[in-house]
Amino acid sequence: MGKKLIIILGFIAAVLAVILAVTPFSNLAVIPIVVAFICGLSIFFISRKEKSKPKSIQYIFLMVIIALVLTVYKSVYYTSEVGDTEQLEQRDEENLEDSKELLEDIDFDEDI
Amino acid sequence: MKKYVFVFTVLFGLHITAQNNTIAFGEKLVFSASYNMSGILTDIAQVKMETSEVKTSKSTLMRLKCTAATYKKWDNFFKIRDLYESYVNPKTLTPYLYKRDISEGGYYKFMQYKYNHKANLVKSLKRKKNKEGKTWDENKNVKISASTKDIVSTLYHIRNLDIHKASPGDQQDFTVLFDNKETTITLKYLSKETISTNIGPKECYKLALSLKGSDVLKGSNSNLLWLTADKNKIPVYAKFKIAVGNGELKIQSATGLKH
Repeated sequence: MGKKLIIILGFIAAVLAVILAVTPFSNLAVIPIVVAFICGLSIFFISRKEKSKPKSIQYIFLMVIIALVLTVYKSVYYTSEVGDTEQLEQRDEENLEDSKELLEDIDFDEDI
Repeated sequence: MKKYVFVFTVLFGLHITAQNNTIAFGEKLVFSASYNMSGILTDIAQVKMETSEVKTSKSTLMRLKCTAATYKKWDNFFKIRDLYESYVNPKTLTPYLYKRDISEGGYYKFMQYKYNHKANLVKSLKRKKNKEGKTWDENKNVKISASTKDIVSTLYHIRNLDIHKASPGDQQDFTVLFDNKETTITLKYLSKETISTNIGPKECYKLALSLKGSDVLKGSNSNLLWLTADKNKIPVYAKFKIAVGNGELKIQSATGLKH
């Protein structure tokens, strides 16, 4: 019973780790990676005592490795830089021109 | 006669407190917005706050511009390109025109407020895009109170407050017009604190922000803003408690400061 629970928990954590590692939240994948790794190890030791070889260990470790590689790769190679802002700059200019026209009509009730 | 002297003193006093002694033309502050969950930081967007001079045939105004753009890694998931601007009197920071032009993951919205301070009225224009990409406008007249400002000019107005005269525990309310509704923001001065920032260690005023009648910001005294305790009062760090984790805003660089 306890073993099954650990396997399920390990799987959930491993899948979550892979999903998080793919998204830009890859930093957060560290938490499920650790959980899945601990679960994997526990299953490994429990199975060794029982002298059985469940396949689940391989799957969990495989997913943990994928998630870990992705997370490390992203944290090393991805720098925080802003993507294209052309459209934003264009809107900025358009708004400025439009604002100048609008401001011509406004009555200022104080000294500017 | 005494009455007149009193009224004059009060008016003169108000005039002095409303003077802009903090914000200069050409100031540029760059921030990095990130999400913090149990100490693990994820960078999300770059936020810029800039001021510039805008000349019309009658006057010279100050343009306060705030932009937010997500980092490259986010652009395929949720691309944000927001522009907020307010045109204010450079001497008093009274707003005359406000614009909010936002594009967030395919969602587009444009808001414009034209202030009429004499009538305490705002002419508001809302522009949205429908699914086919066509825009539609909604015009409205919104009654405001005398001290109501938009979100951008409120931010700069907070920087221009005489915090050095306040003592810890003091608080002040600000009325902000957002989405055609007036909302009250309460600002509380907590303490002085020295924090390390990207522009060096700074002695700061620690301020707590809260929104009346809204649960966007959670907890009391957990939405904090640090303004440097000098004449520039640069916002160097801000922390917002949201449903899960914290949102953070950290300064990257500050140029063109007045003092």
